[in-house]
Amino acid sequence: MHVTLDHITKKFDDFTAVQDFSARLEDGELICLLGPSGCGKSTLLNMLSGIIPPSGGHIYFDEDDVTMMPPEKRGVGLVFQNYALYPHLTVLDNICFPLETQHVPKKERVEQAQEIAKLVHVDTLLKRRPGELSGGQQQRVAIARALIKNPRLLLLDEPLSNLDARLRLEMREEIRRIQQRTKVTSVFVTHDQEEALAISDRIILMKSGVVQQNDLPQRLYDSPANQFVANFLGNPPINNIPGVIRNGGFHAQGADSEIRLPLFEGLPEGRPVHLSIRAEAFSVEKDGPIEAQVERVYTMGKEEMACLRIGATEFRAYIDSEVGLTPGRNVQLNVRKRGVFVFDLESGEKLA
Amino acid sequence: MKKVSRVFTYLFLTVAGLIMFFPFFWMFLSAFKTSAEVTASPPVWVPSSFSLINFQLAFEKAPFLRYFFNSILVMVLSVGVTTLTSILAAFAFSRLRFPGRKTLFTLLLSMMMIPFEMLIITNYRTVIDLGIYDTVWALVLPFTSSIFYTYILKNFFDTVPESLYWSARIDGSSNWHYLWKVMVPMARSSLTTVILLNALASWNSFMWPMYVIITDSNRTLPWGLQVFTTEAGSNPEQQMAASTVVVLPMIILFLFARKYIVGGVARGGLKG
Amino acid sequence: MKKDSAEKDLLYRSKFEIIEPYLYLLPFFLGVAVFTLYPVINVVLMSFQEDYSMLTRSFSGWGIGNYVKTLNDPNFWQAIRNTLHYVLLVVPISLVLSLIIANLLNQKLKGSAVYQSIFFLPMVTSVTAVGLAWKFMFNNRGVINYLLGFLGMKAIPWLRSAQGGAYNMTALVVFGIWNILPFTIILLLSGLQNIDPQYRIAAKVDAATNLRIFFRITVPLLAPTIFLVCIVNTISCFKVFSELYPLFGGNPGSMGNLYTVVYYIRTSMMQYQDYGVASAAALILFLFIFVFTMAQTGIRKITERRKVS
Repeated sequence: MHVTLDHITKKFDDFTAVQDFSARLEDGELICLLGPSGCGKSTLLNMLSGIIPPSGGHIYFDEDDVTMMPPEKRGVGLVFQNYALYPHLTVLDNICFPLETQHVPKKERVEQAQEIAKLVHVDTLLKRRPGELSGGQQQRVAIARALIKNPRLLLLDEPLSNLDARLRLEMREEIRRIQQRTKVTSVFVTHDQEEALAISDRIILMKSGVVQQNDLPQRLYDSPANQFVANFLGNPPINNIPGVIRNGGFHAQGADSEIRLPLFEGLPEGRPVHLSIRAEAFSVEKDGPIEAQVERVYTMGKEEMACLRIGATEFRAYIDSEVGLTPGRNVQLNVRKRGVFVFDLESGEKLA
Repeated sequence: MKKVSRVFTYLFLTVAGLIMFFPFFWMFLSAFKTSAEVTASPPVWVPSSFSLINFQLAFEKAPFLRYFFNSILVMVLSVGVTTLTSILAAFAFSRLRFPGRKTLFTLLLSMMMIPFEMLIITNYRTVIDLGIYDTVWALVLPFTSSIFYTYILKNFFDTVPESLYWSARIDGSSNWHYLWKVMVPMARSSLTTVILLNALASWNSFMWPMYVIITDSNRTLPWGLQVFTTEAGSNPEQQMAASTVVVLPMIILFLFARKYIVGGVARGGLKG
Repeated sequence: MKKDSAEKDLLYRSKFEIIEPYLYLLPFFLGVAVFTLYPVINVVLMSFQEDYSMLTRSFSGWGIGNYVKTLNDPNFWQAIRNTLHYVLLVVPISLVLSLIIANLLNQKLKGSAVYQSIFFLPMVTSVTAVGLAWKFMFNNRGVINYLLGFLGMKAIPWLRSAQGGAYNMTALVVFGIWNILPFTIILLLSGLQNIDPQYRIAAKVDAATNLRIFFRITVPLLAPTIFLVCIVNTISCFKVFSELYPLFGGNPGSMGNLYTVVYYIRTSMMQYQDYGVASAAALILFLFIFVFTMAQTGIRKITERRKVS
């Protein structure tokens, strides 16, 4: 099933949680709603599930307008951050619960539950109660419960946030696997960019209720639409060097030297900008266009993480450890085209 | 030093415990004494035989079996209905949405401080007007809803995460289905407390029956017992036997469910 | 999702869902309206209705006559005096005893379940039934006088003293304390269990004596609970009636000397058929309770604020 969100807006009193949101979720796609807390991603999910109604706009499941349809009629599956399992019911009864409300006969219910339990690997735990399960197991049960009624749309609200780091890695691969097996259109809400990049077919990055970019994960990383997107993705975070463009060259704040890159061609003169470079985009080259001072070096095995300085700004770069940087010395750097951007200093608008 | 304080603790608690238990001890023992033993001075401590004759005599002189039955009937009806109305109201206040929800609940809470003594005058008249004066219904109807028990249940319902509710709704569950399939089974412990506290209050209720019941066969145990003692021909040993009958069921209940009762009392009180 | 957002969003609801909450509330409110809300309003009205007759359900006019009558009734003032007397004896004594017992119970004890069961029993047993046992024990030739004889005391006419009501009152107070003790211990015990044991451990490390810990750490930290207990017990003792009834065979004291406020309401109503006076007296009783409850909520708010800041 494909889902169309058409100019969705949600207001709570004077607070706008979601502003004029439009998107189309293709059939079988796993889409991440990504953004910092309070960006409106959970509100959007709740509007998809029918828990809260939008203040304006329309939602379509395939061609049906479901904007005003109550949650129990939408046929969606929802997985909560806190799993929301019924503590007094066994795993089996938890998984069966959605079928019970549909008055599916008991035998059939149990059969389907066992099948789905196998898919999410909890088939050995059916007789236990949620309190006796680990967080990861509880989340698997919650996913099984959401899947058992063959939902048209699977919604996952920060499903990994309550798990510890190792389990989180494992579960996100599990979710990906299960989603690809069932091919159910899925929406995955998270504030963790790494999670989003790893799991999704497409990411919609939001800020303060407004879509910043709706794109493939790699595109989001490689060509961010604005400063916010560039800052949000990547670890370590992207380096932002403030400065101005003059005579076709970049003058970093507090630095005497000038940086010349083909990228700067045609940029407006005298405009305050950020030169934003990903840490992995640097390489040491004798005639590199950037001169920086080495401040500190951290060994990380194959690479070194170097803290460098241009003028008043410190930044980080991954450098091949064979180069052997010495703190206090100057070094000439080049940059790959793929991780370098210029943003307007104030508006964050992408200039190049 | 530490040992001395330990010994003192046990000593003090044991002595205090003996004093606290003494009235029960004396009641139970006296229930088996003969007329002569009961009035003997100095008192006879242990009865010569543990025969049930005093119980038999008391039950012959006053319809204690009938009182007992009435007490059970009133308790089952009022506790049953109160539990039901409290569950429904607590769920509405906790989970459903309607205008004025919070204001209304605050108003109800403030009504908890109104003493029952203040309501008796009007309720007495209401019971007469409803035509149930001097019937068992007069003991049941005024006790079919309770702000206090609703409050306890609502507090518990509030602790159930909202996600459980929405999860159930999305899975096609109605409010009604959710209440009985999820909320109520989860609230088992709070419900037990509410039912037990209510049962105790109902069983021991004395003042209200005294106002509205005059026919002997409609009396409940405490009020029947009271009348029994003021009537001619009831001896102390028979009174103690009858008192034992009133007291014992609740003692047994308490021994089995102490945790729930004490917990409930700590949360909001029983007498007072 | 913002809290309470759904409260304003009524869009989704079917007509049934909009009236659904009221259906859930209906049975509850039926009871509350008829047997609590209406009586509250009515008792206020009745207290201002003069010469109310239960037979004809009529009254001669509105006025404050019932209050004047009540406040000029020496019996009413006697009832207030007796009630206050009872409160002032039972509340402090039971508090001190409960503090000691609760403090002793609040440690790892062998057989603590047995101790607790014994201390809490009076709470679950019928006051009237146990009152009969006490009456029996307080008899002139009863077991209490017998035991006191070992201390060299002469037999005391606890329940039938013609000279003043001191013995009657003492008997009532002893029974009252015994009766209220479980409730008080439970509240104090749960208050004690809420105190972080680290405070006491810290004090022990500083080599404070047990007595010093009790007065300098436990009591101050328990102060809110102690205050709550005082208020709740004061209110409940103010309504003393069920303890009194069995002790003196239905009479308020052997000579009517232990008349209390609730007794006053009862006799005004049942004996003199003076519903106006009964209502006025009930409202005066409520006024007392109201003031004490307000004091309690006021103090609680202040202490809570102190905790935050």
